[in-house]
Amino acid sequence: MTLHSSSAIIMRTWEFGESDLMVSFFTPKGGCLKGVAKGARKSRVRFANCLDLLCFTRLEYEQKKEDGLYFLHSGILIHAFPGLRADFSSLSLASYMIELTEILFPVGVAAERMFDLLQGALSALDEEKQIDSFRILFEAKAMTLGGYGIDLSRCCVCGRTYQGEGRALFRRGKGGIACLKCGQESERSPGLGPATVNALNAIQSTSWDTSQALGLSASMIREIKPVLKHHIEYRIGQRLKSAEFLSG
Amino acid sequence: MGIYPPSLEKLIEQLSRLPGIGQKSATRVALYVLRSDRDLAEGLAASLLEVKEKIRFCSTCHNLTDDDPCAICRDGRRANGSICVVEGPGDQLALEASGIFKGRYHVLNGVLSPLDGIGPEDLTISHLLRRLEPEGIEEVILATNPTTAGQATASFLAGLLSERHPRITVTRIALGIPMGGDLKYMDQMTIEYALRTRLPVTP
Repeated sequence: MTLHSSSAIIMRTWEFGESDLMVSFFTPKGGCLKGVAKGARKSRVRFANCLDLLCFTRLEYEQKKEDGLYFLHSGILIHAFPGLRADFSSLSLASYMIELTEILFPVGVAAERMFDLLQGALSALDEEKQIDSFRILFEAKAMTLGGYGIDLSRCCVCGRTYQGEGRALFRRGKGGIACLKCGQESERSPGLGPATVNALNAIQSTSWDTSQALGLSASMIREIKPVLKHHIEYRIGQRLKSAEFLSG
Repeated sequence: MGIYPPSLEKLIEQLSRLPGIGQKSATRVALYVLRSDRDLAEGLAASLLEVKEKIRFCSTCHNLTDDDPCAICRDGRRANGSICVVEGPGDQLALEASGIFKGRYHVLNGVLSPLDGIGPEDLTISHLLRRLEPEGIEEVILATNPTTAGQATASFLAGLLSERHPRITVTRIALGIPMGGDLKYMDQMTIEYALRTRLPVTP
């Protein structure tokens, strides 16, 4: 069996047997993986503080059987994101990011860009408490990487190219925007101003750092938030547990 | 059909439902019970039923007890103005075994874990807040584990207590290098905490 060494983000852990830990971790090359860390709850040497929730670590592991379960040999903590431990709203958003990643990229689906996004988002949240803004950036980017980007290029009803003239509205069933000739703004079809459409487009197509520099205004955040909420709930078909602890 | 008689198969099946006990361990335990005196089986069965019937949560500290309130909450000598907040009954036992802490406890029965849908209302936080004034608490010691969830819970409680009871001193158990530990094997975060919270040495 091949021994892998990779950076990873710890997504969940479960106590397993007397002293073992079952660990779900996200890697750049392998995506979300599950493994057993033998004796991890007793030995603090092989896994010194590196298997805690949301830790960014370097793990050594190999495939145990053909069932997809891995055997974790050792790990080194790279960063523990202490800021996430110091604030419940930050922990809630970080947990939400993990939950959304688990759904969009289930076990074994490789996603290097998703790993970069998750790491970038957790690092940013560790340093600054911009909950609403970071939530929007992450949701829009993760959905795009998962293949559910919102089509902002044309009206999803009449097909006319959207060139930034006037407001648009979001149609969750189509996963895109429609012009005001083709529909009316409502609670289920929230509206977006031209600047907000441009900003959302930029968020979907640029890196985390570039998106962070966009500086979303409060009105943009207010407009994008319900759009992404409807979009995610419709595409995923469920409300995430951790979303209960985020406002809005 | 199993290889053992049905009654033994049933015992193995029941034992293997316990955490940390697989099929092999369950078989070993079941065969040991079978070989032992009748007293062992009777005592074990009676104890299992007794804990299910008698053990409950203390209405004051939420620790496991067979008398409500528990012995610590009934003991007037433990009302020294400090209360130690722990995650679960096992943590309270560990602290109590050290014999150092002479105040009272409050068991949260969990930690904040948004991933599992566990928020402040799922813990015994509101009960803790209600205890503070009547019991004349002057210090709250946050002794949740130094894990992501444990620390987030401690931070949340610290914020809540300083907002609602600004006169109460809130402290956190020390984090750092354990007794008998080896610096070479410590992670960077533990070393950082240890250095930041270093203490002056008095000769």
